[in-house]
Amino acid sequence: MKLLVCIKQVPDLESRFKPNSEGLWYNETDLAWRMNEYDEYAVEQAVRLREEQGEGTELTVLSIGPDRVVEAIKKALAMGCDNAVHIQDPAAACKDPWQIASIVAAHAKDKAYDVIFTGMQSQDRGSAQVGVTLAEQLDFACTSTIVGFEYDNGTITAKRELEGGIKGVVKLKTPALVTCQLGLNVPRYPTLPNIMKAKKKEITAVAVADLLKEGPLATTASFHPPAKKGGGTVLEGDVGAMVDQLIGILKEKTAVLR
Amino acid sequence: MDFELSQDHKVLQSAVRDFVEKEIKPIAMKIDEEHMIPDTLVKHMGEMGFLGSYLPEEYGGAGLDMLSYAIVVEEVSKACGSSGVLISAHTSLCSGPIYTFGTEEQKKKWLPALNSGETIGCFLLTEPGAGSDAGGTATTYRREGDEFVINGSKTFITNGGYLGTGVLLASFDRSLKHKGITAFIVDLKSPGVTILKNENKMGIRGSYTTAFAFDDLRVPVENLLGQEGKGFNVAMDTLNGGRIGIASQALGIAEGAFERALAYSKERKQFDQPISNFQAIQFKLADMWTSIETSKLLTYRAACLKDAKKSYTMESAMCKMHASETATFVTKEAIQIHGGYGYIVDYEVERMYRDAKITEIYEGTNEVQRVVISKMLLS
Repeated sequence: MKLLVCIKQVPDLESRFKPNSEGLWYNETDLAWRMNEYDEYAVEQAVRLREEQGEGTELTVLSIGPDRVVEAIKKALAMGCDNAVHIQDPAAACKDPWQIASIVAAHAKDKAYDVIFTGMQSQDRGSAQVGVTLAEQLDFACTSTIVGFEYDNGTITAKRELEGGIKGVVKLKTPALVTCQLGLNVPRYPTLPNIMKAKKKEITAVAVADLLKEGPLATTASFHPPAKKGGGTVLEGDVGAMVDQLIGILKEKTAVLR
Repeated sequence: MDFELSQDHKVLQSAVRDFVEKEIKPIAMKIDEEHMIPDTLVKHMGEMGFLGSYLPEEYGGAGLDMLSYAIVVEEVSKACGSSGVLISAHTSLCSGPIYTFGTEEQKKKWLPALNSGETIGCFLLTEPGAGSDAGGTATTYRREGDEFVINGSKTFITNGGYLGTGVLLASFDRSLKHKGITAFIVDLKSPGVTILKNENKMGIRGSYTTAFAFDDLRVPVENLLGQEGKGFNVAMDTLNGGRIGIASQALGIAEGAFERALAYSKERKQFDQPISNFQAIQFKLADMWTSIETSKLLTYRAACLKDAKKSYTMESAMCKMHASETATFVTKEAIQIHGGYGYIVDYEVERMYRDAKITEIYEGTNEVQRVVISKMLLS
C-alpha cells in the first residue's frame, strides 16, 4: 500500500504580517514557521494508517517551497512518515491552488498512491482548493473536511463535518484523497529518538520546473491588512439596560448563548 | 561564523516548545504550589526522550548532541524551572558520569532505565560539611568481600526523593582529602538508605532536594565508577558538563520571565498609554534582552565545544555564571515591570524570580565559577 501526505509550512499565526514590496503577499522576513495545523491532522492520520497496515506500506510526505520547508518535512518524518519529497520552489507562495495541485499531480501520477491525505486548508492562503483539485486531476475519489477516518480493504469510511455541528458519513473506494479537519485526531509529538531517526530518512529533492506545466488560473491582485478598527463597543446606561444590551450582542454575534 | 541553529536543531526546538506549551505550562503553577512534578509528566518527558537526549541510542538515549540537550532544558525551563532541573540533574549528573566513566557492563545495566525515565538519577556529592570543598567529603566506605559498605550523609540532593539511581562520592581515608574519594553507582532503594527530609525551598519547589543518611549501605564491587581514589575527577568532570545544563535552565527561566514582561508592558496602560511607551520600561527590556542573548550565546557555545570534544571548562563556568545572574536580574525586572501584579502568584513572574536564585548557587556557586575562570586566565 502506498500513502502520500501533502503538507505546507506556514508562518506562526502569532506573527505580525506586513505586505511584501509587490503588495501581493506577506513579507517573509523575521517570520517563524511551522507546519500548517490541518496538515498535522493529515500527517497523524496517515501515520496511523501506516502503522495499522504495517510492513509493506510506505508513507511519503511531500511539501513544495523553499529550503525552509524541510523543517516541516523533518517534523513529519519524525512523526512517522517513511520518506519525503521536497519540491524546491522559492516562489511557491505566489502560485495559485491550480498550479500547486498540478505540481503534486505531476509527481503522483505514476506513483500508484492508494490514499492521499491533505489538510482541509492552509492557515495562510486558506483556499481549501488544493486537495480537492488534486483529487480531480488524478481522478481520485475525494471527500473533504473529515473528522473521522477508517480504512478497511480498499474502502475508506470518513466522517465529515457539516454546518451547525451535523456529521455525515461518506464511503469511498481507493484510490482516494481526504482533506483533514480539526477534531480528526490529536497529532503526536515528535519524540527526540524519532527526531534522531528522521535524520536518516531519505528526502528526495525535485526542481519545480520538472513538474510544473500549468499556468495559473487565478492571480492575487493585492494584499493588505484590515483597516484599523475603533476601540470596541462601550455599553452605557444603568446596569439592567447594559445587561440586556450585552445579552443581545452575545445572542446576535456569538454562539455563546445559542 | 554562523549563529543560526541547524535545521535539525530547529525541528527539535519547535517539537519541545509545542510539548512544553501544552503539557507543562498549564500546570507549572500547580507544580510550584504542590511541591511536586506529577508522575505522569515525568513519564511523559521520558517517553519524549527528554531524559536521555544526548546519550547514545545503543543505551536507549535519543543519540542527539549537547546542544540539543541545552535546548531541551532551556525550553522546559521557560515554563517550569523545577522540571528543567529534573532533566538537568538526571542527565548531566547521573547518566552523564555513568556514560563517561562507566564500563560497558555498567552502561548497559544502568543507562537504558535512566534514559527512558523509568528511574530518575541524582548525584550525591554535597554533604552538610562539604559543598564547594568536595575534598571535605566525610561519607566513608570500606570494602568487605565483594561489597563496599558506605556510611555517612548527603544533603541538597536534587531528584533524591525519587529513590532512583545515584552517583555517590565517598572517601576511604578522609586524611587523603580529595585523593581519598571514590565514585559509586548506587540503587537508592537499597537497605541502609534513609531519607532524612525533602527540603522546603524558596524556589524550584517541584524539584526534590533531599537529605540522606547511609547506614551500612552495601554496594557490589561492580558498581565502582572509575577507579578507587579518582572520584574527585569524576565529580569535577561531571560538574563541568552539568554547568551547561544549569546555564540552560537559567536561560530558560529568564526567557520565560522576559516573554511575560514584554507582553505585559504592551498591555498595561498608565496615563492613557501602554507602559512600553515609557523609556524607563524600554531600557529595562533592552537590558534584559541583551543579557539573555549573551547568556544564550555563551551557553550554546559551551555545548558546541563539548560536542566538538574540545576543552570547555572555562566556557561552562562562564555560561553558568552569566546565565544564572541574568536569570535573577531578568526575573527581578520582570516583577518590576508588572508592578504590584508581579508580586501576585497568578502572574507567575514571582515564581520565576524564586526559581532563578538557586541557579547562582548550585552546580558550583558563582563565586566558585569566578575562581575557575580566573584560575584559567592566570595559569
